[in-house]
Amino acid sequence: MWTKPWTMKEGFVIGGGLIFAGLMLELSVGPVVWEAFAWPVNGIVLAGFLAVIAVIFLLRKRVYAFRFIGTYQAAIPTLVYAVLLTIIMGLTRQTENGTWLNNMLAFWPFVLIYVYMTVILGVTILRRIVNCQLSTASLKRDIPFLLNHLGLFLAMTTATLGNADMQRLKMITVVGEPEWRAVAQNGAIRAMPLAIELKQFIMETYDDGSPKRFASEIQILTKSGKKMETTVDVNKPVEVDGWKIYQYGYDTQMGAMSQISILELVSDPWLPLVYTGIYMMLAGAVCMFVMGRREGVRREGGKEI
Amino acid sequence: MTWEEFIYFAIASVLLWAVGAWAAWKEKTAVAYTSTIAGLAIFFSFILMMWISLERPPLRTMGETRLWYSFFLPMAGIIVYSRWKYKWILSFSTVLALVFICVNLFKPEIHSKTLMPALQSPWFAPHVIVYMFAYAVLGASAVMALYLLCFKKGKVADEEYEITDNLVYVGLAFMTIGMLFGALWAKEAWGHYWSWDPKETWAAITWFAYLVYIHYRQLPQQKPRLALWLLILSFILLQMCWWGINYLPAAQGSSVHTYST
Repeated sequence: MWTKPWTMKEGFVIGGGLIFAGLMLELSVGPVVWEAFAWPVNGIVLAGFLAVIAVIFLLRKRVYAFRFIGTYQAAIPTLVYAVLLTIIMGLTRQTENGTWLNNMLAFWPFVLIYVYMTVILGVTILRRIVNCQLSTASLKRDIPFLLNHLGLFLAMTTATLGNADMQRLKMITVVGEPEWRAVAQNGAIRAMPLAIELKQFIMETYDDGSPKRFASEIQILTKSGKKMETTVDVNKPVEVDGWKIYQYGYDTQMGAMSQISILELVSDPWLPLVYTGIYMMLAGAVCMFVMGRREGVRREGGKEI
Repeated sequence: MTWEEFIYFAIASVLLWAVGAWAAWKEKTAVAYTSTIAGLAIFFSFILMMWISLERPPLRTMGETRLWYSFFLPMAGIIVYSRWKYKWILSFSTVLALVFICVNLFKPEIHSKTLMPALQSPWFAPHVIVYMFAYAVLGASAVMALYLLCFKKGKVADEEYEITDNLVYVGLAFMTIGMLFGALWAKEAWGHYWSWDPKETWAAITWFAYLVYIHYRQLPQQKPRLALWLLILSFILLQMCWWGINYLPAAQGSSVHTYST
């Protein structure tokens, strides 16, 4: 152990150490409070996180442990830990107010392993970019690599940090009455920058009585002065001024005669960044299919990814 | 078209696929292609007619997804065959397809015409179809691994490891696309692209498990047999994601991915 070069054994010990540290954190400060990451905290944390990755990358030749972070021997054990912790998550009932294993997303060991995985991703991406050459052979390897890895890095960091800025509110609209208030997830009532008036709630059923269509014909008035009439269907949200409006519910006792319709209003300012990551991964997956293993990946003279 | 007629289409397709598999062994490439593709065409025409008579894509119930799975196995087989010329692959995909066809013949599930609003989306078909294709190819890689581990006599050749690698790369590529299509659809349907719903949690587990395999196979020094065991383990995790969570106590009542009414 700990004789250079480090192997997967050291990788597993480091991951185990992170899990232990996570347990200590969970005991001492309690679960991760993701709500605390609302803007601008998440922006600062992201900048700090990127800086840490850059420092690890720049010091890789001086500090052996930092060099190790960019190897398969570090990446594989971390992936194994991620699989194991996520399996535990999949086998236990998850609740928002749960503790420890019942709220994995706020459980420090889980969070630390995923953060470490993202650091490893970041370091390997930086090295790949620095080593990239403008030759066809190099680009053929590096572009799919970057699409997959940078795409995942972008999607994971921005989805996690941006979550605190996501707003999801329910608005109960009534036929003929413009409504501008909505209920947040914590029960608080908020005035929205747009008012919605329900014109008609639509419910269609199949012959056997099972539901075929839920929709709301609505009129929207925004603070910015827009006025529009539109229909919100399940699976067909309407977007206006950065808000997506979803068909969420209705008066189930009245059924098709419901005079109200519950709409969900969602705003997620980080979505374009997450989607950039997702589209990069989609392109990366296409490359992976087209190229297969042989051309797509190289074994870079030894251990580094 | 109803499930009553399924057996005729199934028999015709399986016979044609079997002829294709036999031709591949005998290195009659042209016959292998024509026969397999003819079988696929017959099988797909049944799916298509089901689609028309149900007035919705046949993708909702487990039985319907098995239908696609049985279709995609020989299809994945012929694609792999055309690319790498493995002469055993068609026999193998035919046998696997036959298993799923038999399950559908002996344990058909209720297939009503209704499609609930949550599933009425242009994302529905690509999401499930791409996933079924991924499952088919990854199933092929798992059986290959099982064969190399338990039945193959003598040392496993590098070439044989490369076969499993190629299958995993293709399978994982499709799995990634299926998962991300699911994320894009979830945003339209439920307001968020990833909610750690039990199905999503197990999809992430499966995805990471295959990433372990792929990265492990990049190591200069490795235990190849361990890599093969990883593949089998990953495929077991995939079963959990595919249907296992329906029986998982922790997932009961908390998954929005349950559509059996």
